[in-house]
Amino acid sequence: MKVNIPKQTTDTTFLAKRWKRFALVIALFAVGVVFFLILNVALGSINIPLTDTVKTIFKVQDNTTYQDIIWQIRLPRALGALLSGAALAVSGLLLQVFFRNPIVGPHILGISSGATFAVALAMMGSYLIGMTAVNPITLSLASFIGAMVVMVIVIAVASKVRDIITLLVIGLMTGYVASALSSFLIAFAQSENVFRFVIWTMGSFSGITWSEVYILAGGGVVLMLGSYLMAKPLNAFLLGENYARSMGVNIKLFRYLVIFLSCALAAIVTAFAGPVAFVGLAVPHLARLALGTSDNRILIPTSILAGAGITLLCDLMARMLFSPVELPVSATTALFGAPLVIFFLIKGKTTI
Amino acid sequence: MIIQTDHLKVGYGKKIVVTDINIALLEGQFICLLGPNGSGKSTILKTLVRMLQPLGGEVYLNERNIITMNNQDMAKTTAVVLTDPITPGLLTVYDIVMLGRYPHTGFMGKPADEDSAKVFDVLKMVNAADLAQRYFTELSDGEKQKVMLARALAQEPKLIVLDEPTSHLDARHRIEVMLILRQLTQEKGVTVIASLHDIDLAMKACDVAILIKDEQILACGTPEDVLQEDLVTKLYGMENATFSSKLGGVELRSRQQGTSVFVVAGGGTGAGIYRALAKQRVHIITGILTENDIDYHIAKAIGIEIISLPAYETIGDNIIQRTSQRMDEIKQVIDTGFPIGLLNRANVELVAYALEKGITIYTSRSKTEAQKLFGEQASRFVYVLDYFELISALRKTI
Repeated sequence: MKVNIPKQTTDTTFLAKRWKRFALVIALFAVGVVFFLILNVALGSINIPLTDTVKTIFKVQDNTTYQDIIWQIRLPRALGALLSGAALAVSGLLLQVFFRNPIVGPHILGISSGATFAVALAMMGSYLIGMTAVNPITLSLASFIGAMVVMVIVIAVASKVRDIITLLVIGLMTGYVASALSSFLIAFAQSENVFRFVIWTMGSFSGITWSEVYILAGGGVVLMLGSYLMAKPLNAFLLGENYARSMGVNIKLFRYLVIFLSCALAAIVTAFAGPVAFVGLAVPHLARLALGTSDNRILIPTSILAGAGITLLCDLMARMLFSPVELPVSATTALFGAPLVIFFLIKGKTTI
Repeated sequence: MIIQTDHLKVGYGKKIVVTDINIALLEGQFICLLGPNGSGKSTILKTLVRMLQPLGGEVYLNERNIITMNNQDMAKTTAVVLTDPITPGLLTVYDIVMLGRYPHTGFMGKPADEDSAKVFDVLKMVNAADLAQRYFTELSDGEKQKVMLARALAQEPKLIVLDEPTSHLDARHRIEVMLILRQLTQEKGVTVIASLHDIDLAMKACDVAILIKDEQILACGTPEDVLQEDLVTKLYGMENATFSSKLGGVELRSRQQGTSVFVVAGGGTGAGIYRALAKQRVHIITGILTENDIDYHIAKAIGIEIISLPAYETIGDNIIQRTSQRMDEIKQVIDTGFPIGLLNRANVELVAYALEKGITIYTSRSKTEAQKLFGEQASRFVYVLDYFELISALRKTI
């Protein structure tokens, strides 16, 4: 038998072509982020003309009404949405690669359930000890602690189990336990508290203060940078744990770092905005399809921009669609994200 | 010595799968592990590359105990091709092979020009350079395997460990992969260890065969020495098949029953007929064959009754008489159209005898050739053009 050898070409032009596409996609998403940021600041119960918006942001114009609306309310909220979207997208991306599962999101390891339980405890608990209203800082703190407790449990378990899927199941189950405990509390709570609690569980960027934005920015940027530095082992992990190990990846360390980074990113967002659905799940897919690659070195920055832009758009819709009634942000992100995921699934493009 | 084991015990958790492994392999050798499913081939391979902890004993890579080596050194010395399914998402073949440069690139994995050149080098080596810009998930199994091989090569290892590299591949890719591996060992001095299921390919391509069964190494050595009929049969516990080292492959034993057919064969003309009839479970007697005839070896492997005499002997009157007696009991004879020479003239006599006796006799010879050999008697032949006609004709009478 003669084995036919196809002709061997070393055409490298596709590499240059690919870089052009990457640059174009990144530029497009960057423009989108700026565009939606300005739109978020300009639109609202009082619509501010775009030129005035830009001038006020850059402080070249003194219009006290506009200045108050923009600097006190809309800008911190928009920046909060921007940073949260970016953080959630990176968190989701890390976990999708780690679990080699395309329908995994930032909350898969029970992070949001832990936060939710802690918040429920704070809300209902403070009533029991005689306080009627809980201040937002307490809620953020409770949420963050709840998320971190779950994270520590997951990391502790991660050092015991070999199989990654077992870890996934344990994360899910921890989440269910936390949810069950939350519903205990709800059963015994007053209806007014329950309503506030339910609204919290659907997430919102309203009332985000500058100091919260600073925390989000500080923590988020460090964690996102940390995630970007993991791009090389993350790429190796695309071939699975065994191949990654054979190429020199320290699997144990890699596991801890991925779990820590993704959980911490989800936790700081949940602390200030509550559980925001679907951004972390859908955005990495969108970025992957736009880029046409799973290379995390380029995918992480793109997901950051896409997550920021889309979350800004979703928050805008949450505020504007039924104004003056404001929707929870998860309502718009889910409305946007779920059909997108279905679309990817049907197109057969859902992949890591 | 590239890799050496000392009383190595391998297994999962507490369960020992193979024990007391003492092997020493040289640079540039092509080693294959053979054994039935579940015998521990993969377990041994995984232990050699530190994917599993040894349950006892030591493994030395380049004279260094592998437990003392760091991940980076290990990755620069050994590369693997595993059976794990790979779902790398939207990575191109170029990206996948570039991942093989992992231990050689910097912290962010940014490829230098020589890394890119190396990627195309190894892709050419596995005849897959034209696949570079395709997505990995779109490739066929054979192409995927070549790409994974290229990825391993991009690591520039001294030792490549492959777990069943030819499973799921078509004949062309099976051979291509084996040829690439052999070329690697011969030209680049890389040591290749692979677990294989194709004994025939293993025998023809490898330098060392290691046979594993029942928790131990059954044999280890040159395939030509080790892969003997009895040992291979024992290795796989084959009852209905025979491995023949001379034929370099396996023949299925026929479960014969019912009517007998006598096949007058020789020089390889019997091979197809034996196999075709064996599938029909026809009881076959064949002769007269000398033991140097290929038909003799095939018939023996299938388990056919053979009337034979030692190699290079002339067929004598005595054996002709014995054979014609056997023929008398039989209603059907096949003349395979065997070539005729000085030593086997007697077989022509046998056919003539059958014609005279009025036994149904099928022949694949042309009418002119038959007339030349048997004169008027030739009109008694049932002429068949191919195996299909022969089988159909036989079916009617059985």
